[in-house]
Amino acid sequence: MRAISFMKIDYVLTRKQMYFMPVFFVLAWVVGTGVTEGAMSLLVTCSYMFFVASIFSTAPFGYCVGKNRGFLLLLPATVKERVAGRFLYGLSFVALLGVLCAALWGVYALTGYELPLWTVAIGLCELAAGILLMALEFLFFYLFGEGKENWQYLSNIVRVAPGMAMFFAVNAFVGEIQDMTPAGTSVDLEAFAGKFMQAGVAAVAASLLLTAAAAAVCVKVIEKRDYA
Amino acid sequence: MMELLEVKNLSKHYKSFDLRDISFTLPKGYIMGYVGANGSGKTTTLNLITGILKSTEGEVYIDGLSCEKDMRAYKEKIGYVGDESYFPEHLKIKHIRGMLKDFYGTFSVEKFDSYIRNWNLPENKLIKDFSRGMKVMLMFASVLARDTKLLVLDEATNGLDPVMRTEVMKLLQEYVMDGERSVIFSTHILSDLEQIADYIYFIHGGRTVLYDAKDELIENFLLVKGESEKIPPALEKELIGLEKNAYGFEAILPSDKAELLGSAFLFEKPTIDQIVIHYIKNKGEQ
Repeated sequence: MRAISFMKIDYVLTRKQMYFMPVFFVLAWVVGTGVTEGAMSLLVTCSYMFFVASIFSTAPFGYCVGKNRGFLLLLPATVKERVAGRFLYGLSFVALLGVLCAALWGVYALTGYELPLWTVAIGLCELAAGILLMALEFLFFYLFGEGKENWQYLSNIVRVAPGMAMFFAVNAFVGEIQDMTPAGTSVDLEAFAGKFMQAGVAAVAASLLLTAAAAAVCVKVIEKRDYA
Repeated sequence: MMELLEVKNLSKHYKSFDLRDISFTLPKGYIMGYVGANGSGKTTTLNLITGILKSTEGEVYIDGLSCEKDMRAYKEKIGYVGDESYFPEHLKIKHIRGMLKDFYGTFSVEKFDSYIRNWNLPENKLIKDFSRGMKVMLMFASVLARDTKLLVLDEATNGLDPVMRTEVMKLLQEYVMDGERSVIFSTHILSDLEQIADYIYFIHGGRTVLYDAKDELIENFLLVKGESEKIPPALEKELIGLEKNAYGFEAILPSDKAELLGSAFLFEKPTIDQIVIHYIKNKGEQ
């Protein structure tokens, strides 16, 4: 329960960035449709949104430095609850952007676009990658940067680089697919759609498990630190 | 007397500083002044008491409960007001209210709001735009609106104007009035301690220098003045923080050495301020 209260604190701390999310969403859609069309454009849009998630999900670390951190440390809660709250924030933030992507997927389906099942599977893999990036960044921030005030440069690289790499990787993948013979390739991939879906679901499940493991490592490390 | 705060052999080792073997008790219904020069270990001790820092050795109990045993219940008992606002500065009062409500079972929104109204704290301003006095009063509102047992103040009155300081002193006296709650209070404004402290703990270089009831402490020392040339060697050895100038000398002397004075010197009861200043001077010379 206290973990949820900590998650709420993180949302309050970062409330202003939430106003920008619809803007990023529209931008992601514009980028997606600018590169390609149909289901492929959705993949680019989603990768852009998870890139955005990987940057903005770590924002609470930036607000909890120096004297501002004292308030959190004074609250009657355990380290486990505090860290769990932060990870819940990260997870819910990525999930929120995932829901936006799913909604866009729904709109495309309702307006008659053909959305092959394998593209949905790739979308799930992107979600898994988004969750994993968030967990790894949180792990990095807790292990090396929690509460530090003077490491803006490095923290910005850590926040931006992995998500950007994912975005370009998806763009490259979409480019590759488009370069193939449309008819033959499409049929071949659809034949493996079931397997792709299983792999996508497994990737999401694995990313959640790894997030839980990363949170557990952070708790252990922080419990050994100087402050409670 | 029932002890509210028990500090036993508390130590904290840093590379450049050691807080060593701090021990004291504070009974329910009393106020302790925790004094010392800058860098003497006051904030470290208070952070160890609040549970923000972990000690290298030693134990702290509040109402018989240690932080290790039940961190949540332990922290619920503490109200902390620091020299700087610890609230995230880009928040407003409504955000702080919501957070406190979520975390503290005994937090009363009505009480909190009445403090906010009485002290004219602006609801719609960001905390970063508050004056220093407003920030301090917001911290007080946040701790007084819930059921705490121990109030920990770390130089909270520094930089406040006399009207606000008087208000804070009044609050502290009201806080301990029911005989169930206590205050530990570090400050550089020693006149505040003269006014409200029952106990004084004096720390220097991370070590205990003096610890006693305030009245006892004042009784135990004399402020001695006179001509420097007339100090006999036996007396000079006993004087604490001897300060010589063109007009004579001033120092502190333990009362039990009063027989060394004879009739050549003036003496009187010192203030806490004078005891502390002469001790710091003495430690500096050592």
